[in-house]
Amino acid sequence: MRKPTAIISCLMATTLLLSACSGSNGNNSSNSNNGNSNAGNTGGTTNTAVNEPAVNNAESTPPPEENIKDKKITISIYYPLPDQTEKRKSEDDKIARFQQEYPNVTIVKSDWHYNVDEIGVKMAANEAPTFFNTFATEAGFLVQRGWAADITELWSSYSFKDDINPTLQNQFVKDGKVYGVVQNGYSTSTVINKKLLASKNVTAPSYDWTWDDMLATAKAVADPKKGIAGIAPMGKGNEAGWNWTNFLFEAGGQIQTTNGGKVTAAFNSDAGVKALQFYQKLRWEANAIPKDWALGWGDAVGAFAQGRTAMVIAGAEGVLDQALNQGGLKPDEVATYPMPAAEAGGKHSGILGGDYLVINPNASKDEQEMAFRYITFDYFTDNYLSAVEKDIQARKADGKYYIPPQMSYFKGDSEYGKKLQAIYDKYDNVYKYDPESNKLLDGNPEAQYNTQEYYAEMTSIIQEVFAKKDVDLKAKLDAAAKNMQSKHYDAIKVQ
Amino acid sequence: MNPLTKSTTSVPIGPQAAARRSRPQVLLRKYGWSLAFLLPAAAIFLLFLWLPIMKGFVYSFYSIDFVNGNKFTGLDNYRTVLADPDVRIAIKNTLYYMFLCLIIGFWVPIVFAIAISEIKRFQGVFRVAAYLPNVIPVVVLYGLWRWLYDPVGPINASITSLWGGEGISFLSDTSWSMISLVFMETWQQFGSAMLLYLAAVLSIPRDWYEAAEIDGAGIWQRIRHITLPSLRSLILLMLVLQIIGTSQAYQSQLALLDGGPMNATLTYALLIVKYATTRLDMGTASAMGVLMFLVLGVLAMLHFRLDRKGGDAA
Repeated sequence: MRKPTAIISCLMATTLLLSACSGSNGNNSSNSNNGNSNAGNTGGTTNTAVNEPAVNNAESTPPPEENIKDKKITISIYYPLPDQTEKRKSEDDKIARFQQEYPNVTIVKSDWHYNVDEIGVKMAANEAPTFFNTFATEAGFLVQRGWAADITELWSSYSFKDDINPTLQNQFVKDGKVYGVVQNGYSTSTVINKKLLASKNVTAPSYDWTWDDMLATAKAVADPKKGIAGIAPMGKGNEAGWNWTNFLFEAGGQIQTTNGGKVTAAFNSDAGVKALQFYQKLRWEANAIPKDWALGWGDAVGAFAQGRTAMVIAGAEGVLDQALNQGGLKPDEVATYPMPAAEAGGKHSGILGGDYLVINPNASKDEQEMAFRYITFDYFTDNYLSAVEKDIQARKADGKYYIPPQMSYFKGDSEYGKKLQAIYDKYDNVYKYDPESNKLLDGNPEAQYNTQEYYAEMTSIIQEVFAKKDVDLKAKLDAAAKNMQSKHYDAIKVQ
Repeated sequence: MNPLTKSTTSVPIGPQAAARRSRPQVLLRKYGWSLAFLLPAAAIFLLFLWLPIMKGFVYSFYSIDFVNGNKFTGLDNYRTVLADPDVRIAIKNTLYYMFLCLIIGFWVPIVFAIAISEIKRFQGVFRVAAYLPNVIPVVVLYGLWRWLYDPVGPINASITSLWGGEGISFLSDTSWSMISLVFMETWQQFGSAMLLYLAAVLSIPRDWYEAAEIDGAGIWQRIRHITLPSLRSLILLMLVLQIIGTSQAYQSQLALLDGGPMNATLTYALLIVKYATTRLDMGTASAMGVLMFLVLGVLAMLHFRLDRKGGDAA
């Protein structure tokens, strides 16, 4: 009885193994026939379906050039999350308008949002949508891994390319090749709860402020017994390293340097020590950070929206959205400050960040082109202006605020920018950034290589600074730099 | 029996071969449907459990690159694991966590099961109440306990009002962070284990207790001499299961503290997750997984033996 059962089991196992093994390869062959039906996951396969006959025909008679509008193409798009109802409405509106112009295009909505911990798996499984969102931090990483399509050709023929904000767009230009399209940007700022300052009779500092001003303000507002902090520097996850890097830049430091094709860790400089000393002061001298300081982005921004910290460091848009639309604060009760200068007269350096859209390199050329057309469909159009106005009006009806991006994809002084600003000016539920504050912003791009690993290294040190009073800062930074050098930087050869 | 006579009735390939062929056919006829019903479960098991395990073994010898292809690296991944100081921290933390779960959490369901079994009225209500934390979604659980552990939350408020001082940084203080997670998890998870213990307690013949009572045994003596000895095999089994379960813990460590502060809650399983997803080094993560598999394999065999022993006893 055992023998036949074993034989049958073996046969079953072999069949399953064979089917499992052939499954991955089979995608190419089977989907070439029906690639259009499931473009969400089979970016590259539709291409085979559409183009292969054309290639075969080319040998006999050259086919007439096909207009991309006539081709049946399916693209899966980056779609807002279920709780982002306003954004979903705007996106649905855009889809409808896009399909009017491109009736042969099928659009699949993907509400997968970029996550550094998930992108590897998504790309390995070929499950990333035709285009997906990402952040300025990720450019080097995505390009290095080959997870962002080279769209230089599409970019070169894009008629509005010269009107795009070059500072922001350049984050996704590597070695002269374009790998993404900017949506909006920001220079990391400090958002202040003025209401909380007023309740403690603390005068808000000027926009041209320094570390000492930040320290004094945080100290004056903090009320640990009531669980109110003066400032909530992030202390958990890679956000901790990201938050601190603003201070490294303000002190004149850099994360890494590139010389002669070699990348060298540079954050263990005197500027790095100075920036950590400032964190020590916030924690131990002013006792101004939350007692429970292990806060990630969501925790710190949430604490700000709940009035449990007077200051938070992040891209202003996200913080303001939570504070005004969920925390119940009014626009005049909050203020967006540039990051403080290390000393009077110094630069208000903040990390340059932003939202970008990246096209999946596994998608076919047609899909890539259609995705590019979709991404830029509303750029510089009157349709977008009226869509924004509708969004503002809808929010007003719901008692919500519209938070415009701190920096847009177009040049600030462009005609289009002025038109959009005129719409913003018409409504009192649009948050207005103070031009005086904006003038001082000094956006600094992040490190090009292994940014997340660097942030993780720094997070451990920052946690130690917050947990222990006496930490040998220089020794810690040197150890972290050595680690980064041997584990990551030494393997990089810059072309 | 004359084999030749049989061969004439069968296909001309010899009597023994015929007998060999007919036997599987008979068995297939007899068990065919049973095997067909087993097929989906077997397929799922193979595809989603054994195949990944086997692939994990293979990957542990490769540098995994989804774009440029995998590269055989021999034992390099294992060398990386052994040289990484974080691995030593993670092992230490995991052992510490397992120890805390034993001393803080292991006895709780036993005590509750015995206590609830002693309740004469509304036993069902208490049973449900004890199990309720199990059904709380983890997002709510973490939010709730973040508030309970808050510097101005109810626990700290009680501590400061009773003893003064500044209270405890339950999550940010490295000496408290793991303990805090264990308390939270014990509160959430003791209910399911409690139900198993309760079932076992209720299956102990009542006349044993009545006889003990007649002999003058008090409640503690009844528990010590009847209840606990009756639960012995179950307690042992649950102990092994808990050791296996807690050795793989990473969920609350990741969600609440991301392994911090200062790696104080970085468990071995969390480090595997970080290697695989954050550092995108699937090869080293697989090597760590293989090492863990070997250790847990021993425990699983122990569990299997205890399970069989318990089954035989039953």
